[in-house]
Amino acid sequence: MRITKPQLSLSRDNRKKMVPYLLIAPVIIYYTIFWLFPVLNAIVESFRDVDGIWTLGNYIYIFKDPVFYTALFDTAFLVIFSVTIEFVLAFGLALLINTKFKGSSIFLFLAMIPMALPAVAVGAMWSSGLATRGWLNSFLMHAGIIDDASKILFLAGGEMSRLWLIIIIDAWTVIPFVMIILLAGLQGIGADVREAGYIFGGTKFQVLRKITIPMLKPTITTAMILRIISAIQIWLIIVMLFGFNRLPTLLEQIVLNYDELGAASFERIGLALSVIVAIIVSATAILYLKVSGSFEKKKEQEVE
Amino acid sequence: MATLELVDLAKRFSKKVWGVRKMDLDVNEKEFIVLLGPSGCGKTTTMRMVAGLEEVTRGTIHLDGKDITDIPPRDRGISMVFQNYAIWPHMTVFDNIAFSLKLKKMPKAEIRQRVQETADMVKIGELLKRLPGQLSGGQQQRVALARALAVKPKLFLMDEPLSNLDAKLRVVMRTELKAIHQQTEATSIFVTHDQSEAMSMADRIVIMKDGEIIQIGTPDDVYFRSANMFVAGFIGTPPTNFFNIRCSVDGEEISLKHSNFKLVLPLKDFSELDAYNGKELVVGVRPEDIAVDSSDKALFTNKVLVVEPQGSHQVVALKLNDAIVKTIVSADQSVKPGDSIGFNFNLKRLHFFNMETENRIKTASEI
Repeated sequence: MRITKPQLSLSRDNRKKMVPYLLIAPVIIYYTIFWLFPVLNAIVESFRDVDGIWTLGNYIYIFKDPVFYTALFDTAFLVIFSVTIEFVLAFGLALLINTKFKGSSIFLFLAMIPMALPAVAVGAMWSSGLATRGWLNSFLMHAGIIDDASKILFLAGGEMSRLWLIIIIDAWTVIPFVMIILLAGLQGIGADVREAGYIFGGTKFQVLRKITIPMLKPTITTAMILRIISAIQIWLIIVMLFGFNRLPTLLEQIVLNYDELGAASFERIGLALSVIVAIIVSATAILYLKVSGSFEKKKEQEVE
Repeated sequence: MATLELVDLAKRFSKKVWGVRKMDLDVNEKEFIVLLGPSGCGKTTTMRMVAGLEEVTRGTIHLDGKDITDIPPRDRGISMVFQNYAIWPHMTVFDNIAFSLKLKKMPKAEIRQRVQETADMVKIGELLKRLPGQLSGGQQQRVALARALAVKPKLFLMDEPLSNLDAKLRVVMRTELKAIHQQTEATSIFVTHDQSEAMSMADRIVIMKDGEIIQIGTPDDVYFRSANMFVAGFIGTPPTNFFNIRCSVDGEEISLKHSNFKLVLPLKDFSELDAYNGKELVVGVRPEDIAVDSSDKALFTNKVLVVEPQGSHQVVALKLNDAIVKTIVSADQSVKPGDSIGFNFNLKRLHFFNMETENRIKTASEI
């Protein structure tokens, strides 16, 4: 039998082809150890009870629990309204700043402040502000808009008013982030394509609708997906303002079950909930991509 | 087909920065006007004011006698070709061209016909279903052109439309644009910094510098009767050669003394120079008006510094004192660097300029 050598010494070409794989290898190993294993483990454990016996009990418990449906509704409500409001306001601000009016850079700087605050700080700020004797009421009293007897009980409202409070705070925190992404996208579109729109008969609104927004679409898609995913995961501010279980959302329920209740059986419920949320997040993202993608196809057909 | 009038038009960007200082211009019906000047001279700003993309600081713009100074671009009856094409990447070629027609609510069949017509005119009739990303730069330029033509505008504006094309295509497009203009007869304003482009396309050239008009005239006007040294130096490649000269009148003759030569001219043909007796002035001579003269009548003899062959002719550069002088010599003459050659001026084509004002001194000898 003859021993052939070429397998040992790789050709120059083959070595070159291996370089990218070598470079990404550390990341893949890291993700396998610290991400893939825990995730797989969580999925497996969510199908077992405390004694390690295979069961669907955790999931059955969740789907029978009315709080889960409240959490589902609240989360959906938060996502739909906060993302819509954030997008509209952020887009308006981005368009405004993009006109480069006098002082726009200072305005941009000021508008970015909420983005720099960590979620805990935002929670602390607003919970101290919205308390009955908080700074918001003090401010309104000093301004003479309300008196001591008519202090607003921000945090004592029903579920809807609590939801809207969270939506407002979330919007306040996140608008700068969305605005920056959209602004970067807008600045990537040359002024001349819009000017051409005006020359060729477009009003401001028509140019926005037919030129600016379609050209900005990749940026809008990115911003929206990022926002939808993170809006599904709102919990910290809710807990800091209201405590657990007063405004249930999906993530809040995971944290409650996994960390707060302290029993091994609830931990597994938390794991099962995580799996459900992961599925919801991915499904939403895919759905959004599909929906925004299919619009494009429709337009192409119109041309034919 | 329209007339355009700019009256005392000015644009100030900030306290000290003027885009356009003062602009008075009458454009006739069907005329092809080229705004020409170095970058920063205000030519593009002027066009943008006419288009309505830039607010006017002072003055008025009249199209067909109607004041359009303050009306939005879409109501002006103009169209424009942008330097970077500015075609919309998310629309097909068809939609790009049809954009304005759709907004005007033109019937669909008519739109289809108009788009096909204009696309055929600029030779992109086959590309209507493509997206701009699938086209070459030259084809994108044609889309921009078709889009502007489809409107059938009263006034057709072009902002350095050829500057992004390669040299060969640029020359092809020049010819095509001129042919299209002759066909559509739309009053046109064309902005460029390329003087040969301006010369080859314009009915009249408006030469601008520092936000003001320096000269308005036909290509022949600006070339043969340049209003000042700036124009003489800007128009023509290679540019006009300038010589500082001392003028003295002696009886029926004028002698112009340069450190390397002495020109003697009959006073009756150049009587306007009488006023400069004993003073210095500048003589401008275009490269093609300096001819090789191997006889003993040569005005001056000088060593050749560099020879630049151009095929049809050759550019011969000399070093006269510290100044480079360029002349155009026919291709069949053998000239080598270092050769000592005699030269003579074409006395019918001398340009005289006042040394202080740099303005042209008109003489009776002008063509």
